[in-house]
Amino acid sequence: MPSTTPISVKVVAAESLYKRDVFRQPDPFVVMTVDGSQTKTTLTAKKTLNPYWNETYTFQALEDSILVIQVFDQKKFKKKDQGFLGVVNVRIGDVIDLSLNDSEETITRDLKKSNENLAVSGKIIVVISHNKRGTGSTGAANGNGTGRSDAPPSIQAPPQPPIANSTSTNGAGAPAGGAVGGAASRQYSSFEDQYGRLPPGWERRTDNFGRTYYVDHNSRTTTWQRPTLDESESERGQQRINTTEAERRQHRGRTLPGETPQSPNVTGGSSSGTNSATSGNITVNSTGANTPVNPGAAVSMAASGATTTGLGELPSGWEQRFTNEGRPYFVDHNTRTTTWVDPRRQQYIRTFGPNTTIQQQPVSQLGPLPSGWEMRLTNTARVYFVDHNTKTTTWDDPRLPSSLDQNVPQYKRDFRRKVIYFRSQPALRILPGQCHIKVRRDNIFEDSYQEIMRQTPEDLKKRLMIKFDGEEGLDYGGVSREFFFLLSHDMFNPFYCLFEYSSHDNYTLQINPNSGINPEHLNYFKFIGRVVGLGVFHRRFLDAFFVGALYKMMLHKKVVLQDMEGVDAEFYRSLKWICDNDITDVLELTFSAEDERFGEIVEVDLKEGGRDIEVTEENKHEYVELISEWRISKRVDEQFKAFTDGFNELIPQELVNVFDERELELLIGGLAEIDVEDWKKHTDYRGYQENDQVIQWFWKCIKEWDSEQKARLLQFTTGTSRIPVNGFKDLQGSDGPRRFTIEKAGESNQLPKSHTCFNRVDLPPYTNYESLKQKLTLAVEETVGFGQE
Amino acid sequence: MSLKRINKELADLGRDPPSSCSAGPVGDDLYHWQASIMGPPDSPYAGGVFFLSIHFPTDYPFKPPKVAFTTKIYHPNINGNGNICLDILKDQWSPALTISKVLLSICSLLTDANPDDPLVPEIAHIYKQDRAKYEATAKEWTKKYAV
Repeated sequence: MPSTTPISVKVVAAESLYKRDVFRQPDPFVVMTVDGSQTKTTLTAKKTLNPYWNETYTFQALEDSILVIQVFDQKKFKKKDQGFLGVVNVRIGDVIDLSLNDSEETITRDLKKSNENLAVSGKIIVVISHNKRGTGSTGAANGNGTGRSDAPPSIQAPPQPPIANSTSTNGAGAPAGGAVGGAASRQYSSFEDQYGRLPPGWERRTDNFGRTYYVDHNSRTTTWQRPTLDESESERGQQRINTTEAERRQHRGRTLPGETPQSPNVTGGSSSGTNSATSGNITVNSTGANTPVNPGAAVSMAASGATTTGLGELPSGWEQRFTNEGRPYFVDHNTRTTTWVDPRRQQYIRTFGPNTTIQQQPVSQLGPLPSGWEMRLTNTARVYFVDHNTKTTTWDDPRLPSSLDQNVPQYKRDFRRKVIYFRSQPALRILPGQCHIKVRRDNIFEDSYQEIMRQTPEDLKKRLMIKFDGEEGLDYGGVSREFFFLLSHDMFNPFYCLFEYSSHDNYTLQINPNSGINPEHLNYFKFIGRVVGLGVFHRRFLDAFFVGALYKMMLHKKVVLQDMEGVDAEFYRSLKWICDNDITDVLELTFSAEDERFGEIVEVDLKEGGRDIEVTEENKHEYVELISEWRISKRVDEQFKAFTDGFNELIPQELVNVFDERELELLIGGLAEIDVEDWKKHTDYRGYQENDQVIQWFWKCIKEWDSEQKARLLQFTTGTSRIPVNGFKDLQGSDGPRRFTIEKAGESNQLPKSHTCFNRVDLPPYTNYESLKQKLTLAVEETVGFGQE
Repeated sequence: MSLKRINKELADLGRDPPSSCSAGPVGDDLYHWQASIMGPPDSPYAGGVFFLSIHFPTDYPFKPPKVAFTTKIYHPNINGNGNICLDILKDQWSPALTISKVLLSICSLLTDANPDDPLVPEIAHIYKQDRAKYEATAKEWTKKYAV
């Protein structure tokens, strides 16, 4: 009988473990058994699906010995299934050759199910080695050791730079020699590369284009930049904070046409007043954005949007008083009137006359329409006005000075009017009383869920009073803005499997068809719908952008093939190909779709008996229509319904229907201030040079536009008004990073065209500035729906 | 949709196999295939047999299959992980393409590399600057890994 050999087994890490609970990550640890007789247990990693142990144990093994590696969740170890997270069986002789003096192999295996058939996922990475010469001193001595003292000393220490490791005698944890012999000579584990080991919690991955990126499991973020060990955790933390700050800054700068963020000093005062420590000093430079220096727009409407209120002086002659119930009201001694509305929260219309004299006029003081006038909606949901006195109709609001709308494109006037109309509806009035929501910053998703779901929709329509646990400060706007900012980041985090990023780019979100992995998912979708509604109702923006199709679905519009482009550009191209080519004898299709549900492939009929109906040249258009509908909406029908139910509890459907899908995106997410210099700097040209006349005109035109027009152009060319937080250099297309591109294409009498999955606009070589401006405006204005060809 | 089509391709491959390539499922899983390509005679890969793994997405043929070399190969458009930079596997994919056509395209990529759109710029650089050195290295790798 052959004698046993001491072997070292290093459990490096596991990745993408199965997530059994929605809000809790497991505390994974590993139990290893050799031949059912020798058992070793690793330390427990805390709250992670990608645990990193890097612990080494010694066993006595034969070639035929079986090493069983099992992963458990320590928190559930006492439960029935013991928190089982997967198992791998390894025959030692299949991995290393015990007849050699020494050998070492790194293996990465998929975790397998047990007999209980609980779902598992992910991989485990283990290094198995033996060294007949070296083990005499280390391995054998520790061979019978118990617990974890048998790990070689270098392993318990924090990960070392590779030089330190590679001298370790038994080779555990060290790359095999000759690592420098060219990229091809050896495979690195995901936790190291030719520059050595990555910092703890980091992992190296490769995307489907073969590019390397790095995953920080500590913060659940990814980056193209390799993290280094000398960069401390706090520095990286600082970088994360900086990114969040940049996002927060962008979020604060958002507006709607007709509303403007407050002047800088006031905003600064407000946020320090609300004592949100992380946001105290960042708002100062953010705004002033819409200060109307724009000569093209004769008017800018401003509304405080309640961003700042409650702070600063009341206007002269005003006084704040309280009713017996403690509700504040305001007395205007100038006019001897009282109002519930805080004059500092008033919406104003500023008119800029020729001499830039500013007349301010509160919107609420526009008052009712003149006698005999009526506000109506066309069937395309445009607001218009009927003058019954003269039996005429007009697009212009009779209460506004007529000069206001000069030089302003029609669609813009429409959106602004729609917003005014929308806000003026009784269903959107804030109800008396207060709605208190108290959450912990670091537990905002769950706390908000509890708080928002326990209240009735009517309660949620009262004045919002958000409080962060342990923080002083009354909610005069700053706190609730912070709340929606943080909450939108958390609840749309693909980590929770409720939403996922579309494959079109990295920013836009869609419902995750596999969200059912969380048995409570429909309640969460209802909650998210409520939060979106709550934001719209209380005029707060979410820092989240959906695929265009989702806005269409919210408006109960039919989704079509075009909408597929923003959801899945590859799939779209194939469907387009089917439409454009004769498919006879090329495709073996029936009126069915295959849906992958956690590895199992399920066939779904697109219409009754669909799996037996061949798709032919004659009926292919019906197929394209049905499969688009299924891919985009039918597949997530349940989830979407729950989402809309929640949304409609705050915002009645007939009122949202006023908007089109682009306007709805702006209503929910707001308009960001767009840095044209940054945009220009990160633009590529095809067929044009940067200093060509047409290109100069293009940028001149864009600079003259206001935020909304710029955002509309972005929607037109990229499919979303969202800009990457680090600016245009990070713009993504359907196949990875893709800079904004202007291509020379088309005749000068044609309109510009866009290709949203390539962030490209086809700009014909116009012969003069006026014609460029007019065509570009028209293209952006007239194209309804996302994903223009 | 995908299974039916994959089965049809498998049958077609059996009936009319393309020259110098072969392909078929690895096990019971029809979505996972292995393929082999003989190094084209007029290339530095001549004499080598190169293995590739093929994964069909559920959306196949609406989405391209994922094809990668499992045999190491020295080529400007194929990197150390075996990933292939080939337009028909990316944005030029069309549902009319088949595995057979893809393998033939890869064969012709072995004969005519595309150094202007490289996946490994270092190899592309040598390919352009010192063709003899490129061919020598490619031959050496073929001998070492693919024979």
